[in-house]
Amino acid sequence: MTLRRSTVFISFTALGLAALFVIAADAGLRGRGAAQALAQKRWLVKSLALTDLALFTDARYTRHPAMADLHSPFQDYPISLEHFPSGSLMPPPPHVRTHGRR
Amino acid sequence: MIELLDVHKTFNQGKPNEYVALRGITLAIASCQATVLKGPSGSGKTTLLSILGGMARPSAGRIILSGREITSLPERFLTDIRRRTFGFIFQQFNLIRGISVLENVMLPAYPCGESHSLLRGRALALLELFGLAGRAATRVEWLSGGEMQRVAIARALINDPAVIVADEPTAHLDTKLSGEFLEFMARLKGEGKTIIMASHDPLVCEAGVVERVVEMRDGRVVAGGGAP
Amino acid sequence: MGGVEKQRCIIDFTLSSLLRRKGKNGALLVVYTLVVFLLASVMLFTQAIRKEAAAVLADAPELVVQRIVAGRHDLIPLDYMGKIGAIRGVRAVSGRLWGYYYDPLFGANYTLVVPEEQAGGLGEIAVGQGVARSSMASEGNIMPFHTHDGRLVSLTVARVLPASTELVSSDLILLTAEDFRMLFGVPAGVATDLVVAVANPAEVPTIAAKIARLLPDTRPIARSEILRTYDAAFSWRSGILLAILAGALLAFLIFAWDKATGLSAEERREIGILKAVGWETGDVLAMKFWEGSVISLSAFLAGVVLAYLHVFVAAAPLFEPVLKGWSVLYPRFRLTPSLDFAQLAVLFFLVVVPYAVATIVPAWRAATVDPDAVMRG
Ligand SMILES: Nc1ncnc2c1ncn2[C@@H]1O[C@H](COP(=O)(O)OP(=O)(O)OP(=O)(O)O)[C@@H](O)[C@H]1O
Ligand SMILES: [Mg+2]
Repeated sequence: MTLRRSTVFISFTALGLAALFVIAADAGLRGRGAAQALAQKRWLVKSLALTDLALFTDARYTRHPAMADLHSPFQDYPISLEHFPSGSLMPPPPHVRTHGRR
Repeated sequence: MIELLDVHKTFNQGKPNEYVALRGITLAIASCQATVLKGPSGSGKTTLLSILGGMARPSAGRIILSGREITSLPERFLTDIRRRTFGFIFQQFNLIRGISVLENVMLPAYPCGESHSLLRGRALALLELFGLAGRAATRVEWLSGGEMQRVAIARALINDPAVIVADEPTAHLDTKLSGEFLEFMARLKGEGKTIIMASHDPLVCEAGVVERVVEMRDGRVVAGGGAP
Repeated sequence: MGGVEKQRCIIDFTLSSLLRRKGKNGALLVVYTLVVFLLASVMLFTQAIRKEAAAVLADAPELVVQRIVAGRHDLIPLDYMGKIGAIRGVRAVSGRLWGYYYDPLFGANYTLVVPEEQAGGLGEIAVGQGVARSSMASEGNIMPFHTHDGRLVSLTVARVLPASTELVSSDLILLTAEDFRMLFGVPAGVATDLVVAVANPAEVPTIAAKIARLLPDTRPIARSEILRTYDAAFSWRSGILLAILAGALLAFLIFAWDKATGLSAEERREIGILKAVGWETGDVLAMKFWEGSVISLSAFLAGVVLAYLHVFVAAAPLFEPVLKGWSVLYPRFRLTPSLDFAQLAVLFFLVVVPYAVATIVPAWRAATVDPDAVMRG
């Protein structure tokens, strides 16, 4: 007797749900495991008085978006059309966009 | 025993294209008999079959199935009764293409919630009976006309109905296959099934199994009506 | 148990009928899974990085004061510290020394930072993992730097910062204040900007306003603004990825909609047959429900699981080209996995439910026809 198609589907769905639970468990476990690394990062941020993530090193307003200046419209105005790909991931920070309107 | 009391059927009631297909049919069909509805095209045979088989509702009149009035039952109950009481064989077989012979046969029983292995066993036994055991896994469109017809009969029998309803069963068959079909019907009647067919094929009307021929014209019974 | 068996039988039939068009439905499933995968990847990634940024930057300076000269960020005189320190509520003020250094040899930008508490000795530096990678430097090596006046000086790599901190330290070079001033020619009386510690965090806006009034050529930036920057940068809607995806998603929706809603004459006939052989309207709709669910549920489960593996196990290789941009130096970091069930639920309702509904609705009318229609082919 061949396998019923519904059995295949139900097994697949059950497998998917099980995988979802495994993932959730993995996220929980690894989250706990990352606590030490997080503490190290926080310590570094505190001791060096860092303000930004080292995600994009191509331009100074993507390396330190929180420190971006307000006044250089032609060079690195945050809303200027972007030639760095990462710039399209980094919208101008809210305190720059709302500056003067508060 | 199926009784029809003054059954009327009007299509598109109240619209300009209103059409009265049945005009007061009163008929009693005995169990374990083979009855043929005969008449010219448009006389209302198909309409009558679908009404007495619970597929459509009459515009007026009543249908009594083994002493129980079924005309006004809600859809769920009507479907349930229809499923258990009637097995339909359609003119074009109406098999579902692309799926296997076995699944086609099992299809009418799916809503019953019966155990799959039992159901499968029954379907295979039926296919065996009709000499189709080797073709269970074949897709229906690859079958020959005669095989398709036997699949259609097997499907009609899967819920073990008391009544077999066949509309123009021989319209697409040659003489040999028609004869084969009538033999199957004779066998089923021998097993105690009631057989109701609509046909104007003389081969059917004059067949040995047929006990009674009801003649229709313009939505009325013109001969062979009344009590059996 | 009749009900369960019945649904299983209906699923059997649905699958057989889907398998009839293996190619088409298979392609649909693959594309569907891909769409869910991409959406879920973006969701998981942005969610994780936002959480990470918020957690990591929780201890960022409460207030940074920049000096602006002629519209540009400029060095700030250290005697501003006295004026700021005199404001009530200010706990401490200190100067930060930091800047950028472009390494022409490797084409990479480094961020040079002077730690407040002196860590290494004169002539010694600590480098982030990214710097170590791109310049192939390790402990004990010497890195050459061009000073502001054209000399070449060599600093010794005393330490490589731990890999676990790469997200914030990848491009850092830590050095002494003396070396920093020597390298860039920054005179003794100035700093890059000032960091202000505040006694009561609730007073930060007031103090910021006071600083701006007292020293009109400065700009204070609060920690809340820093955090908001990252929240906005990686907020769910922002980013070119989602914009591109939106297009793909729309195209897919049109395709799926067409596929799901267009009930062909053949399908209509089949529904008629099912009704004629004894299926109720509800059974037919259940069949259609499963038809939609089989595809969308499978795609959802597969897509989400694949996305998790992509983002948290494989460290999002698909996003790397976009995130990297022109950076020569890109941090290698593994995000802390987080699975937000509310977000998954949103995704579920966005991708699974509409498809299932779109399959059922058009079948509704076909399913409610009288079964006798089939008797007249
Ligand atoms: N749904 C409908 N709407 C309108 N008229 C209909 C409908 N169904 C059937 N009719 C009409 O009712 C009449 C009887 O139809 P029916 O199919 O019962 O005849 P029949 O005796 O089976 O004919 P045939 O021998 O050609 O199959 C026909 O004139 C047909 O046009
Ligand atoms: Mg007819």
